Amino acid sequence: VLLHRLVSAMSTWALLRFPAPLIRMCSGNWGLGLQEKPALLFPGMAATAVQVAGRKDYPALLPLNESELEEQFVKGHGPGGQATNKTSNCVVLKHVPSGIVVKCHQTRSVDQNRKIARKILQEKVDIFYNGENSRVHKEKLEAGRKKQAKKKRAKETLEKKKLLKELWEASQHVTEERTGADGVPGGFRE
Amino acid sequence: MKLWGRILWTLLSGSRGRRGVPQGWALNSWKPLSSLTGLLSAREVVSHWTQVFEQRGIPEAQESSEYIVAHVLGAKTFQSLRPVLWTKPLTPKQLQYIQELCSHRLQRMPVQYILGEWDFQGLSLKMEPPVFIPRPETEELVEWVLEEVAQRPTTVGAQGGPLILEVGCGSGAIALSLLNQLPESQVIAVDKGEAAVRLTHQNAQRLQLQDRIRIVPLDITSEGCWTHLLSWGPIDLVVSNPPYVFHKDMEQLAPEICSYEDLVALDGGEEGMDIITHILTLAPRLFNVSGSIFLEVDPRHPELVSSWLQSRPDLRLSLVAVRKDFCGRPRFLHVRKSAV
Repeated sequence: VLLHRLVSAMSTWALLRFPAPLIRMCSGNWGLGLQEKPALLFPGMAATAVQVAGRKDYPALLPLNESELEEQFVKGHGPGGQATNKTSNCVVLKHVPSGIVVKCHQTRSVDQNRKIARKILQEKVDIFYNGENSRVHKEKLEAGRKKQAKKKRAKETLEKKKLLKELWEASQHVTEERTGADGVPGGFRE
Repeated sequence: MKLWGRILWTLLSGSRGRRGVPQGWALNSWKPLSSLTGLLSAREVVSHWTQVFEQRGIPEAQESSEYIVAHVLGAKTFQSLRPVLWTKPLTPKQLQYIQELCSHRLQRMPVQYILGEWDFQGLSLKMEPPVFIPRPETEELVEWVLEEVAQRPTTVGAQGGPLILEVGCGSGAIALSLLNQLPESQVIAVDKGEAAVRLTHQNAQRLQLQDRIRIVPLDITSEGCWTHLLSWGPIDLVVSNPPYVFHKDMEQLAPEICSYEDLVALDGGEEGMDIITHILTLAPRLFNVSGSIFLEVDPRHPELVSSWLQSRPDLRLSLVAVRKDFCGRPRFLHVRKSAV
């Protein structure tokens, strides 16, 4: 039950939130042998890292698996935390299976850069694996189609207007011919 | 052209070091002015100042240079500048401003103080010496609190969302980012530094969050301070990035920190535990039945805190989780008051 609640709670927070390694322990028998790789409390969580909200017509992008990512920060030497003042917030994120690397230094916040890097990487990975079927590609096509359709409609409207104008002008011209200079309907001259 | 050259020369020269000697460009490998046929672009200026900083042993030479130039051009980072601006010539005014800012960097002023602002959890905050500059690791502390709140919705008080106490609010980074992402929450932010109280207030107003925050000048090591804190009702959560540097490590801090930041915001006493233990002693009095404390600490603290809590069973607190920062160091603690 706890797992279920955790998962559903996590999915409502899913947009760009990702779990970090957690070590849980009881106060009683806690040995401080911090393992190299801390066991995740809920191993299933590692799979769903980032979910980008899907649009109505397209499915959501495949979430990235955190365990397949390698992240590089400018870690720097030294203790970190309060004892350091670092401004190098560039994030380099690699998707190991495909080899795609994204570098992000769009903001002054490491946290934001990590999120943005994941979003960009997610799209690139989608293109890599799905090629023409990728969501990005489909969206581009769709945008292109919409643009074409719009152009077509605009053109048709323009032509209609042109035609109407011509018809109207022609009818004006005919009316003038009919009345003639002497007021006698031209079409009835002898 | 000659006059322009001379103006450029003056503008681009670094500040005149401590001995009054123009430093950095005089004998270095930087191109002689005669090869500068035109005006300087952002890229070239960054390159120039990176070199100057490197020669003067200024850490993060390129990053510092990039942030300053980007700032003058109206962007937060060099990468986020519109590419056309990378190569467009800068105006004399811009060059002048860059030179002024860079001269502060030559005095080891932290970039965040030079720019007067910095970002944290998507918020832009005003920065001002000597108020402690938020560290990037601390953003993860906020993330953790948000995750926990999402899993355990609390409804203490008429307003709904959690009532949070932040100890040592500094610039307001933690308090304001929690308020920003937890629209139902309220925060009591305390700091014993007047400048911090003022700056948190300014940042709260900048972000229009002043209605949900109470900023209180308070030294939590002072006797009986908890009675004052209880006047807003029981607290759900205590969060803090308290001074946690071991006293003996203080002398190893970089000049950026020693010369400009309030060292009181850093020094945690002999084992860096002084403020931490005060917070842990105080918190149980503020909670109702249960409550959580989230702390940022030194990587040596999880063990020390655990031992200390065991020596204080009267507090009924237990260390329930330790979380690592993005460098893989144990950095954050979750301590909980048990219901029974």
